[in-house]
Amino acid sequence: MSILKKSGVTADGAISSKGLSAGSVGLIGAVVIGISCIAPAYTLTGALGPTIAQVGTHLPAIFLVGFIPMLLVAFGYRELNSAMPDSGTSFTWGVRAFGPWIGWMAGWGLVVATIVVLSNLAGIAVDFFYLLLGQLFGNPALADLAADPVVNVVTCLAFMAGATIISYRDMQTTQKVQYWLVGFQLIVLIGFAVVAFVRVGGGSAFDATGISLDWFNPFSVPTFSAFAAGLSLSIFIFWGWDVTLTMSEETSGSRTTPGRAATLTVVIIVLVYLLVSLASMSFAGLGADGVGLGNPDIQGNAFSALAGPVLGPLAILMSLAVLSSSAASLQSTFVSPARTLLAMGHYGALSPKFARVSPRFFTPGYATLASAVVASVFYAVMRFISEDVLWDTITTLGMMICFYYGLTAFACVWYFRRQWRTGARNLFFQIVAPGVGGIILAVLFVTTLIDSMDPEYGSGSQIGGVGLVFVLGVLILVAGVVVMLVNARLRPAFFRGEGLRAGVAGDEREGQAALPE
Amino acid sequence: MRSVIVGYLDTPAGRDALALGAALAATLGLRLDLVLVLHDEGRASLVPVGPSYERHLDDLAEGWLKEARAGLPESVASTAHVVRAETFAEGLVTAAGDLGADAIVIGAGKEGAFGRLHLGSVGGVLVHSAPVPVAIAPAGLAGRGVHRFGTITAAVGTRAGARAVVDSAIAVASAARLPLRLVSLVPLDVADGTGSVDTRDRADDRHAVAREHAEGLRDVALRTVPDRVDVTVEIAAGPRIGDAIRDLTWTDDELVFVGSSRLAQPHRLFLGSVAAKIVRGVPVPLVVVPRDHDPRSTRPDPGSDGVVHEGTTP
Repeated sequence: MSILKKSGVTADGAISSKGLSAGSVGLIGAVVIGISCIAPAYTLTGALGPTIAQVGTHLPAIFLVGFIPMLLVAFGYRELNSAMPDSGTSFTWGVRAFGPWIGWMAGWGLVVATIVVLSNLAGIAVDFFYLLLGQLFGNPALADLAADPVVNVVTCLAFMAGATIISYRDMQTTQKVQYWLVGFQLIVLIGFAVVAFVRVGGGSAFDATGISLDWFNPFSVPTFSAFAAGLSLSIFIFWGWDVTLTMSEETSGSRTTPGRAATLTVVIIVLVYLLVSLASMSFAGLGADGVGLGNPDIQGNAFSALAGPVLGPLAILMSLAVLSSSAASLQSTFVSPARTLLAMGHYGALSPKFARVSPRFFTPGYATLASAVVASVFYAVMRFISEDVLWDTITTLGMMICFYYGLTAFACVWYFRRQWRTGARNLFFQIVAPGVGGIILAVLFVTTLIDSMDPEYGSGSQIGGVGLVFVLGVLILVAGVVVMLVNARLRPAFFRGEGLRAGVAGDEREGQAALPE
Repeated sequence: MRSVIVGYLDTPAGRDALALGAALAATLGLRLDLVLVLHDEGRASLVPVGPSYERHLDDLAEGWLKEARAGLPESVASTAHVVRAETFAEGLVTAAGDLGADAIVIGAGKEGAFGRLHLGSVGGVLVHSAPVPVAIAPAGLAGRGVHRFGTITAAVGTRAGARAVVDSAIAVASAARLPLRLVSLVPLDVADGTGSVDTRDRADDRHAVAREHAEGLRDVALRTVPDRVDVTVEIAAGPRIGDAIRDLTWTDDELVFVGSSRLAQPHRLFLGSVAAKIVRGVPVPLVVVPRDHDPRSTRPDPGSDGVVHEGTTP
């Protein structure tokens, strides 16, 4: 196929291929990328334990309810994306709605959340890497190496370096390989669930527990605090889904593809989550011993403990599924902070170094390296101060997602505030849905922040009698304010609203120069 | 106006390619089509496509091309294109077809293991798939100040495609009225594959074959080139390619034509083992000519002698 025909030769004879080429991502491709970004095998092993610790058997209910705020905010995300498409996403929209200061913090929230998840991803990958080695060589001592903090941190840094090189050079697997990896991941998860149920039926389960309808009732979660904490964790499990809504928006393929891809992705994901969480709970129960899901020792990485008892010699498949899922997610996650940092550098909100694009690989090189360094340092420090680094990072992450998603949702409402007159569709998608979603996320954020002051919160890590998650959350936000103030001194133009400035949809000056290049 | 594609990147290798393109343009009066290949999102399998990021890349790419054109001498005509393709090589080959270009120019880059000069992944793929000659700029060419070529060299053996190489070199030397140097690689070809101990007899034998080959080359050249073009003939020292490259002298303003190998599909370049070693060892720009390339298409006066022997030895 001729690239020139696809892009057209302009009048002066120059070939122009601005923007996207036709039909670049089809329905299946979009679903595969969506599932690969959510990385269900990784997400479940990381989130199952901490969520059960909060809401007990009501896990399925929380997983279902957790989707609601995600969906509401995603509507707003889609509206902002079509009104102001920009790599800076939350940062750019925050600035356009609320001005430079709040917009800056929204960008900070996004960058920090993705950096925290990068460190968690790499941490999970390390656990499963040694587990896999132990299974391969039939030597459990190898699996225990992951518990040695020095070995763990060194391996994690090596993984992070590998992922950085891959992202920096923009190496991608072919679509076929990616289809196989995602298919493999889903088959292993479903196989795990089926075998677990068979064992429950056959009486060889660890602690067979009957499924009850009450598990699906979100209103029987004992306290609101537990409900809120569980919910902020379950938002994490759907995080990444929104890319399916926006990524094929501008391709010249079918107009319905993005919506159908997003719907299909979320249906698959929800079914897999419900199946696997029900299977895990009925197989292992919620006891505090052995592989019981109430055992704090296994809650940071559930499948690592459950795969062996359920799958026996085939447990190695689960290790492979989680490893490949973490690897894929590591790469797709890298893109998000790098592009946001690039936009911040581009608009003068950060050093212009962040705006550098590698002239050879066409990736935001400096921003990618910066994200990798910060994520590595964050993981290394956390490994030594936290009792359960994976658990604490997941909880912190849930909080940070609530923070920047909430801000983005409110940015949508505020930017489109005059649009309610233009019809019911706009009223719902631009104002009501993101507004409700934003309020839910704000409530979750504040509740989690207050509750996490308790030193017993989450994994029980603490600093000076205050819960580690709270310390982390506050530290991250305060650090953001400090970095912002430093940048405001160094680069006052951006903070005076020169270049990127606040506006409102429907204003006659909007549309021109909305996003200065 | 005839043109060549310059595979441009805002990197040292890209600037080497631009320098080679500019020297070719100055020597032969060609137009340069600067092509910057961005990734095609169709290949995205893992990382979600960001349309706004892609637009940002488009703008950056256009800026890089604008800068590159601004650095060209005013006498050189040029166009600039941003294209999208799965790979750099594929983008250049397609652009060459669409723009009807006669050759593709790339920079070798300096990314080899342990600092060894080699083609790089892009060049490697390109010389294995291009239907037109590929000119390769050695790393650092941009800093050498070569603005125009002074000598054209063809280095050939008896393998398939030798005729195309010689004809291409003749066409360029004739068009630019430059001295033509023909180097017989026969000593390498004869030794190639035998691996046996080099006896005195064999050495003599080899030399005789090489001399005959060289004389044949000279005759072909003399039949074709205009009177004002000097033709010299040399025989490479053999049997090792390393010796041959070391013994030949290279001038800074020299352009060397080599052939691809008989392993290639028709009309596709495939770098043979000898050619690959030449690429690594020769410090001047190289043009790798596909086996079935018809040099008349690059010759400014298409009326001249058109007998192209189907076969190998000229």
